[in-house]
Amino acid sequence: MGTVVNDNKKTRPNASELLHSKLGVLELKTPLTVASGTFDLESLEFFDPACLGAFVCKTITRQPKKGNPPPRLYETEAGLLNSIGLQNPGLDAFIADKLPVYRESLHIPLIVSISGSSIAEFAEMIESLEACAGISGYEINVSCPNVENEGIAFGISSEIVYKLVLQLSSLTQRELCIKLSPNVSNIAEIAQAAEAGKASSIALINSVYGMAIDYRTGKSRIKKGIAGYTGIGIKPVALALTHKVAQAVDIPILAMGGIYTWQDALEFIWAGASAIALGTANFVNPLAAPELIMGLGEFLLQQELSISEIRGKVKI
Amino acid sequence: MNKTLYRQRAIQLREELSDEYFILWIWDEALGAAGKPGQFYNVRALASFKDAQNSGKIPKLFSPISIYDNQGGRIGFMIKKVGEGTLALSKLRAGDTLELIGPSGNGFPIFSGKRVLLVSGGIGYPPLWYLQKELINHNQVYWMHGGARQGDIFPCDEMWTEDGSIGRHGRVCNGMRENIARYDVDLIYSCGPMPMLASAAQISQELGIEHYVSLESYMACGIGVCHGCAVPIGSKDTWDYLRVCKEGPVFKAEEVRWELL
Repeated sequence: MGTVVNDNKKTRPNASELLHSKLGVLELKTPLTVASGTFDLESLEFFDPACLGAFVCKTITRQPKKGNPPPRLYETEAGLLNSIGLQNPGLDAFIADKLPVYRESLHIPLIVSISGSSIAEFAEMIESLEACAGISGYEINVSCPNVENEGIAFGISSEIVYKLVLQLSSLTQRELCIKLSPNVSNIAEIAQAAEAGKASSIALINSVYGMAIDYRTGKSRIKKGIAGYTGIGIKPVALALTHKVAQAVDIPILAMGGIYTWQDALEFIWAGASAIALGTANFVNPLAAPELIMGLGEFLLQQELSISEIRGKVKI
Repeated sequence: MNKTLYRQRAIQLREELSDEYFILWIWDEALGAAGKPGQFYNVRALASFKDAQNSGKIPKLFSPISIYDNQGGRIGFMIKKVGEGTLALSKLRAGDTLELIGPSGNGFPIFSGKRVLLVSGGIGYPPLWYLQKELINHNQVYWMHGGARQGDIFPCDEMWTEDGSIGRHGRVCNGMRENIARYDVDLIYSCGPMPMLASAAQISQELGIEHYVSLESYMACGIGVCHGCAVPIGSKDTWDYLRVCKEGPVFKAEEVRWELL
């Protein structure tokens, strides 16, 4: 009441204040997270997780998944193809074996990435996880086939995304982040459907369709043919879609796709991201995360800018 | 504890074997004490990483390279130029820096009092060199090595080339039964290309001989995170995709589901 803010007395901010960000209901010490499936406890042998604002685990399904036949990987001219097939031990084993270890080892917010084959299965998984302590949020992977809709991926229909998110948002107060596929005709519509269903944030982009062929033999480099394409080659795509979705929704965006350095991170923040994730970069540079945060912090300090001041302020 | 970590080490010595093959040596006592035969490192030429970064390009993944030799802190990597990663490694000289993640994987189980047959093909040779050094004092060891041509052949007891340019003419597995009988072999270790290992596994299974294979696979992380290197392991009815980098690279030959590879 009656407080006058005197700008002259404003103290010089420190890097940790400038790096602070928010993703929906989550307070993030840094805007940096990791893309599901590219970073796990083994990665923590390289550096302290304190440089991460949150940890996103590998996607879990209700039942264990064996995954796809090999070869599952191929490094292209510009980025990586993968066809892992969501190999994971299933929800029960995750809760029994992995979750306690995450709670023990991570002292940052844990976002559990889940995927389901029907709206009911997604809901069942959230209900089970709601009973577990130590989870800060969920990443809903909607790039998977919906058995109730002829196996077509959830993420391509705004109507189905709306129904799914509306049901899940009624089940949790935790962060509910919907991870969108770029392989759709209008990603902004899908993002709006997620927002209408009361998602608290959007993650984008999942991998882009990709393929590689041995020119001599004609053989696909990946056993299943079409794979997920990630890394440097998809950065312009991810940036454009981040910008597009940022124009369309008010909920915050966790952006990923070809981010390797602090400079890349800044581009995504200008485009509208509140947080960013490292994916393929973790494989190419095991120290990508601490290097990114160091560089980003130094830049923001030099410019005396905070994340919130530049977010979405791209000049066109 | 055997922690997988990222390190940079100077190359102490580079040995030229042929146009295609070379050995990089590093000295590190702690790493030497941690490594076992059959384990590997993910390695990369630091220069290739820095050059890419400085020119605004994206560096390539690490290459999984098995330990060729490890004695008194001298660790050797015998490498064949096959792709971009190994080509960059081939340009390294003494004093240049190597990036290393490892030692990784489970390595070969070591026994004593056995009549051992080693079977290698091409660049499957290096891990068996380190292995035979560990076996030789406590076992009877006979080593067969094969390759496409003379340039793929290295010191062993019996050489095979597909073009007949040196040693016996044909594929190395063609000589397995004869040697198994002659030396009354009761343990086999093998490393090489997948089709060769599948043939070797079929022979050992028919004859009921214990057999350990070291598999090669495309890798992204090399530490168990990405599941990109997984291969089908188990019995015919119950198998799972296990990671070559973590549960492997050494598996029991009978447990590899060769029919699915």
